Amino acid sequence: MQKGAPPVEDLALHIPTDVIDGPTSLIFALVAVLAVGWCTVAARRGLDERLVPLAGLATAFIFAAQMLNFPIAAGVSGHLLGGALAAALLGPWLGALCVTVVIAIQALLFADGAVTALGLNVVNMALIATFTAYGVLALALKVLPRTRWGLGVAVFAASIISVVAASAGFVLQFWLGGEEVGQSLGAMAAAILGTHVLVGIGEGVITAGAVTAVAVARPDLVHALRGTPLARPATLAETLPSKTLPSKDAA
Amino acid sequence: MKKFLITGTIVTVVLAGFVSLFASASPDGLESVLLTGCETTDGEISGGTCVLQATGDHEIGGVFADYGMSFLDNEILGASLAGILGVLLTLGVATGLFWLLARGKKPAAPANDVQA
Repeated sequence: MQKGAPPVEDLALHIPTDVIDGPTSLIFALVAVLAVGWCTVAARRGLDERLVPLAGLATAFIFAAQMLNFPIAAGVSGHLLGGALAAALLGPWLGALCVTVVIAIQALLFADGAVTALGLNVVNMALIATFTAYGVLALALKVLPRTRWGLGVAVFAASIISVVAASAGFVLQFWLGGEEVGQSLGAMAAAILGTHVLVGIGEGVITAGAVTAVAVARPDLVHALRGTPLARPATLAETLPSKTLPSKDAA
Repeated sequence: MKKFLITGTIVTVVLAGFVSLFASASPDGLESVLLTGCETTDGEISGGTCVLQATGDHEIGGVFADYGMSFLDNEILGASLAGILGVLLTLGVATGLFWLLARGKKPAAPANDVQA
């Protein structure tokens, strides 16, 4: 790799070195430390030994899913952030910790996201994304029916809004500590928010699929359902009078 | 629970070690915007001016820099192995940290872990 010309295709969604200035990075690092510390305290309250393996697996899954860039437009890709998945399965505090672990491992071992940008990336992807997703999910589940579809739609909406909110976090950071090159901040903000609507749709499809699959198999493992199984939609056998179902009686 | 965890781990390893090889190599949402104003050829910035030009190399690189293993000649094998090792490492680190955090906390209600 030549100095000054990083191979573009190997960078990921994470903020690379020197895009945001030192003071801004430092402020967000402090915010991240305080918020993650608070999450740790809050997560311990809801955590028991039974949840540990699930939280570990969810973290590994988010790490793997972040490697899977999907095309969103010609020459542009996106990947799962994982905040919505973590929030739906584990709740906001433990969920935010999962994404934080992923971002730290990526920055320290995989050269994915600058070490100096760890605070910036944790604030956007672990904190903003996870808490936004959880808020949207909680609201949507109050309105929508507690069925497979209701949950799926809620998770889909939470994913899109959480990804756009995370990208808005970057816009804020760039406004504070970035240097406009080649385009105005306004144009850049519009482009970033716009592309992340598309990334969010991809994230929404994957996350809704994953969460509803878990909810059907093990509703007790979906934090957002708070221990209540999904309302089972009436099956065909129940909606039709038994006489019209010959297979059952005729056999 | 065991069945769920084993299935989940296998799916995750396959995603990172195999499916990831088919992932899109195009710049992602953030990068593509930071690249506005630059031209690229073969994934390298070849002209123009853009935000991404100013970025330096990663501070420490890391053993699995850019999801590969620099000491392996075979790029595909390196990418696949880096993905699998990354998943196992993440699984280990996360489970360890959460175990420390949960230490001494027993499930509040009797575990309703009958099926699966």
